[in-house]
Amino acid sequence: MEVNNANLANQIQDPTKSPSGLKILWKEIVRDKLALISLILLVLITVFVYGTAVVLDQDEIVRVDLFAIHEPPSEEFILGTDYGGRDVFGQLIIGTRNSLSIGFLVTAISGIFGIAFGLIAGYFGGYTDNALMRVLDFFQVLPFTMLVIVFVSIVPNYTILAFSIIMAAFNWMGIARLIRSKALQEKELDYVQASKTLGTSHTKIIFREVMPNISSLIIVTMTLNLAANIGIESGLSFLGFGFPESTPSLGTLLSYATNPQTLEYRWWIWVPAAVLILIMMLMIRNVGEALRRATDARQRRG
Amino acid sequence: MWKFIVRRILITIPQIILLSVLIFLLAQAMPGDALSGLVDPNVSLEQKNALREKLGLNDPWYQKYGEWASGLVQGDLGQSFRFKMPVADLLEQRLINTFWLSLATLIITYIIAIPLGILSGRYNDSILDSSITGYTYLGFATPLFIFALVMLWVFGYQLQWFPTSGSVTPGLEPGTLEYVLSKARHLLLPAISMALIQTVSTVQYLRSEIVDTKQREFIITARAKGASESRVYNRHILRNSLLPIAAFFGYEITFLIGGTVFVEMIFGFPGMGQLFIESINLRDYSVVNAVVLIFGIAAILGALLSDIILSLVDPRIRIK
Amino acid sequence: MAILEVEDLKVYFPIKAGILNRTVDHVKAVDGVSFSIEQGKTYGLVGESGSGKTTTGRAVIGLESIYSGKVSFNGTDITNFGRENSALRKDVQMIFQDPYSSLNPRKRVLDIISEPLRNFEKLSKTEEKKRVQELLEIVGLSPESILKYPHEFSGGQRQRIGIARAIALKPKLIIADEPVSALDVSVQAQVLNFMQDIQKELNLTYLFISHDLGIVKHMCDDIAIMYKGRYVEQGTITDIFNNPQHIYTKRLVSAIPDINPRNREKQYRIRQEVQREYANSFNDYFDSEGLAYGLQPVSDTHLVALPERG
Repeated sequence: MEVNNANLANQIQDPTKSPSGLKILWKEIVRDKLALISLILLVLITVFVYGTAVVLDQDEIVRVDLFAIHEPPSEEFILGTDYGGRDVFGQLIIGTRNSLSIGFLVTAISGIFGIAFGLIAGYFGGYTDNALMRVLDFFQVLPFTMLVIVFVSIVPNYTILAFSIIMAAFNWMGIARLIRSKALQEKELDYVQASKTLGTSHTKIIFREVMPNISSLIIVTMTLNLAANIGIESGLSFLGFGFPESTPSLGTLLSYATNPQTLEYRWWIWVPAAVLILIMMLMIRNVGEALRRATDARQRRG
Repeated sequence: MWKFIVRRILITIPQIILLSVLIFLLAQAMPGDALSGLVDPNVSLEQKNALREKLGLNDPWYQKYGEWASGLVQGDLGQSFRFKMPVADLLEQRLINTFWLSLATLIITYIIAIPLGILSGRYNDSILDSSITGYTYLGFATPLFIFALVMLWVFGYQLQWFPTSGSVTPGLEPGTLEYVLSKARHLLLPAISMALIQTVSTVQYLRSEIVDTKQREFIITARAKGASESRVYNRHILRNSLLPIAAFFGYEITFLIGGTVFVEMIFGFPGMGQLFIESINLRDYSVVNAVVLIFGIAAILGALLSDIILSLVDPRIRIK
Repeated sequence: MAILEVEDLKVYFPIKAGILNRTVDHVKAVDGVSFSIEQGKTYGLVGESGSGKTTTGRAVIGLESIYSGKVSFNGTDITNFGRENSALRKDVQMIFQDPYSSLNPRKRVLDIISEPLRNFEKLSKTEEKKRVQELLEIVGLSPESILKYPHEFSGGQRQRIGIARAIALKPKLIIADEPVSALDVSVQAQVLNFMQDIQKELNLTYLFISHDLGIVKHMCDDIAIMYKGRYVEQGTITDIFNNPQHIYTKRLVSAIPDINPRNREKQYRIRQEVQREYANSFNDYFDSEGLAYGLQPVSDTHLVALPERG
């Protein structure tokens, strides 16, 4: 990842130097058919999942029905049932919604923290930067998966928000590093120096002057992070350390596959969830990569 | 340059200390203490409290940390509450298993990455290159645990080419050839699964490195001097691109650690990752702490090693 | 009394090395510079790139931290003045060299010019807009352009926006760091004349930094020549241009192109002569490290860096 981040930072040129940076991002997506289709599909999935989840009765879906255990797909259960006789299709919808929600939440929390951290380190530079980067180095070398699992298992009041904060706490370093290297370049520019001579406060310069100028980098990174976070969340749920109990996630459905019988003979329980995760991650990446190309004038299409 | 190395090592020491403090504080936050692993549950509360006092469990945290840390340095990782044995003994076999799994993964990672990266970089924008790039693209988007599940399903259950759990067929005599072969067979599928996902970043890096180097002045000069194409690649481009790749293995340790947790669970491989999850579920926290500590130190030392090797092969990152 | 007084200003950048990253040496960007500017005058700082002229300007306004020395503005010490001293900050403003990077590309003209107003004056939205429009008119731009973005303007127009921003708070001193060197020659004169106009109108004092002696001659009352962080010669326009004492100054002055073709031969001969003198007497004018000596007075206004004659 270190390598990739470094490359990304170099690749991202200055799309923002013209004020129509956001327009360029949008144009690139429209021009890139794959990204456009991905975006449309993602929006459809999101709307469908959130819309249906409102109508669906979650308690009904997670209620155990011992007379309908491990039923293969039928007319009543489109994707069959799991070991508790619960409707897999309903769990898939609720699971997708939950995975998406937590993906957004974690991306937002880690993004806000990472951006602020990177901006402060890059803008002030010198000793501040040095100290903050040592902190970042330390976090980056920590065994992420394990610490999240340990925290999840010892936090007393375990909620979705707590889970998101734990995940974000060990997951803000990538974006912080990227933003910092960009901010280091940006702060040398005269408009930042000018703001200083005009008596603008550091906080204002950082968030009102510098941040808008690196907004496309932020958008690109956050998009790619969203995909990664959905993957990480489903992985943790797969191990049983994701969502609080009774809240199905895509990873929960996959965790049924740790039972060899389910893995071998009852594909309808875990394959749809696996396919759905893959599709969503690929599509978010498609959009993210198109955005990244847009920020790099050399790679822009058309 | 030795200055860089000394400085880099100086950074490592506080990192390890901080890691141990973090783990110690986590241990404090965990329910139960060292005592629960030692005594019979039937011992009365007063007796327990007396024992606590005697064992220093009521001391302030920094004092306890000092004792804990000095124990660590002497190899005392505490007692497993579940298995009623020293954590160090419990870890030994698991550590060896995970070590071989990681090593196999690393080797396969490079076996895949180097030819793919070179082909992709040398013939960039060919059909071959786009299929390799397509693979790395998919690899980046695929979560390891899903890929591992699919691999187990296909090669373990459907095709039955590989065993589906364990690290060795039971009943074999250690030291015999069958034993070693059986170990290798059990290792292979998890290692391949992990390597196929982990290798994509290395492939991508090598490719872009070669594409970049191809356009450098000194390569153009070499061509202009009339060096043959293979000479240009072997003598000039690969020498510049491969060495940094070789140094990355230390950074890979961080990913390996995350990977082993998933892969060992899925393939029922008795290593540190599996032990970690089992111990968490059993609330056997002294084992949990030991695993996190060992993995954390491994990651810190891996990064240190990579930084040092990189500074030897690539003078650009060397700080004065 | 002088509006700006700089005494023995030193700006050193540390060179770090070693395991603990300790400072082992300094780059002496500005090494003992003193000058003072009278209200309403223009003081020129001239030198090649790397001579420390820009660093001097930036140190005066607080963009570089000062190693030692003293800067006083209207008698108040403003050495290393931070954001706290906002009343004084209003009075000292800066015009930047590059009109492309000195305006935030993501902000509209209205927001750019009103940035200092928002920091120091509590104005209502309508008042603010009116002030910005007035300022635009002063710098000769259409008041309708307040909603445009910087990239919609030419380099000269952008520099005018930068000037409008600098004069928004009615400052007393403006540090102009090569304000026209990034502009086309055809636009340079326009901007310079305009700067002189507003100087008269607003009674401004300029610290004018440039590498172009022709422009300095046109703009300034007093000038100083810098070389490797030190003053080489300081004096009025007449002192420097008609009576250069230091070999470095002589060389610079002789390099000014003369557009009169009849003087071509003469100019060429003078240049040859100066070049010869420069080669022969370099060691008389610079110390063993190639730096200028301390300043010795030649007349009331004229100072030259010469070795002390004992």
